[in-house]
Amino acid sequence: MTTDPTTTTIFNREYKAMFANKIRLLLLSGTAVLATTGTAHAAETVAGTVISNTAQVTYTVNGTPQSTNSTTSTFVVDRKVNFTVVVDQAANTKVNLGQVGAVTSFKLTNTTNGAQDFLLDSAQAVPIGILPGVPDFTMSNLKVFVDSNGNGVYDPGTDTATFIDELAPDASIEVFIVGDVPTTGSPNLALVALHAVAASGGATGTKGTALIPTDLNLGNADNTVDIVFADNDSDGLLYLGDIARNGQGIAYSGYEIGVRNVALTVTKTARVISDDVNLLVNPKALPGATVEYCLTVNNATLLTSASNVVLTDVVPANTTFVPGTLTIGLPGVLGVTCTLAALGTTTGYTGAYDTTSKTVTATIPTVLGGTSVAASFRVTIN
Amino acid sequence: MFYTTTSVRRIATTALAAALVTAPAYAGGPIQVSSKVMVEKKVAAKDGTTSVTLAPTKKVVPGDKVVFVLDYRNTGAQPISNLVLDNPVPQQLAYRSPAQGSPTPEVSVDGKTYGELATLRVRTAAGGQRPASPDDVTNVRWRLASPVTAGAHGQFAFQAVLK
Repeated sequence: MTTDPTTTTIFNREYKAMFANKIRLLLLSGTAVLATTGTAHAAETVAGTVISNTAQVTYTVNGTPQSTNSTTSTFVVDRKVNFTVVVDQAANTKVNLGQVGAVTSFKLTNTTNGAQDFLLDSAQAVPIGILPGVPDFTMSNLKVFVDSNGNGVYDPGTDTATFIDELAPDASIEVFIVGDVPTTGSPNLALVALHAVAASGGATGTKGTALIPTDLNLGNADNTVDIVFADNDSDGLLYLGDIARNGQGIAYSGYEIGVRNVALTVTKTARVISDDVNLLVNPKALPGATVEYCLTVNNATLLTSASNVVLTDVVPANTTFVPGTLTIGLPGVLGVTCTLAALGTTTGYTGAYDTTSKTVTATIPTVLGGTSVAASFRVTIN
Repeated sequence: MFYTTTSVRRIATTALAAALVTAPAYAGGPIQVSSKVMVEKKVAAKDGTTSVTLAPTKKVVPGDKVVFVLDYRNTGAQPISNLVLDNPVPQQLAYRSPAQGSPTPEVSVDGKTYGELATLRVRTAAGGQRPASPDDVTNVRWRLASPVTAGAHGQFAFQAVLK
């Protein structure tokens, strides 16, 4: 691992070799900028570089100056495979039952001295204790995708690559695990692991094969690019998901069922509309009078919708349902009108009256978080 | 090697400077210098101590230490005077120190001025100067004060880290 001061000198020396000394100051100031933008170990010598060393020799024989060169010794820089894979989100992904395509994000950084591919897969067998909580469900349809367009966000249909292709030294890329949450049950937590394996690069668009460290006891290892694993144990000594120097990395994340229920309440009020004596003016609950029942459903949980809310109400004894009076819509003005909808139902809502069971049924597809929906119907007193 | 040795003998016996100029095998002068690159290898001895030996460079990755070795030998018949070996440090390596058992070289941070590292200074981006560090070294140089007699040989070496 090269530190910033070293970087400065690397550039310094390279430039010195290439350019005249008089522009060194200018280039040095440029180097300082480079060093602060985090390209520190970009200067690791790339695998495959041939390094040659030759000394210049001067001497005199009988007072005559002579010069020559030493022989040249060379070696090839080997591939030091190193990378990190970390979870790239602050907490577990909050999901709801039945959610499709729920995403957890990871970041893989290639610190190898050369570009290479990475093979990716996911697992749900996560070591106990590595993350808080005990998993009690598994995700289905789990897939791994690479952030192909580099925007850091999973884009279905765009981020379709399933392996990392030709990741440059010191470059990072986002990787997403995408899966579906079960539709039933009362689960809380699922844990997932992203597993990455360093693979050979060199061919754009081609999935490389997993790298195998070179057996250094073999002969003729001097002038070939050997593969040396230098990666850390990414999940710590306590856990065996990954071990040091195996060319693999692992990171863990979770899916947490966030909101399972909403605070749904129903308020029922009754109002006499008219009677046969007083008609509409201060009507009393006399036989033959018409009474309006108003049911108001309130979802007090902000930001979470209640789906498929079904209200059922049995018409009281000694009353008769007035056909065609079931109305479902947004709540009206308190004490004046139950719903804003005209007689009938707003689109999407359905209602029915069962004459046998004398039951009024109102079905509301969605009650948005923090909102109310009202249903009203009328009966006459027998 | 055979060719080199004969040419050396011819030159040495005739002692013709002209032959040196015309001979394309300039390296075949009376002084033979071979460069080797090695890595340090720790070997455990039976008595429990570890000794450091030099081994061929099978595996070198960034951050590893290598040892550059220069072997010189006077294969001629005449003594050689004022022997100077100047070894530019390869760009991808950072100089560290003379190798175990090797005389300390003079170093340079610009390829022109040589001296002890502590005496050298490097210009900074701010326009000032700072003491040179081993990372700044561009050349190492050994100068032999005494002549190398015919058949005599020796070795210089320095350690460097692959960037």
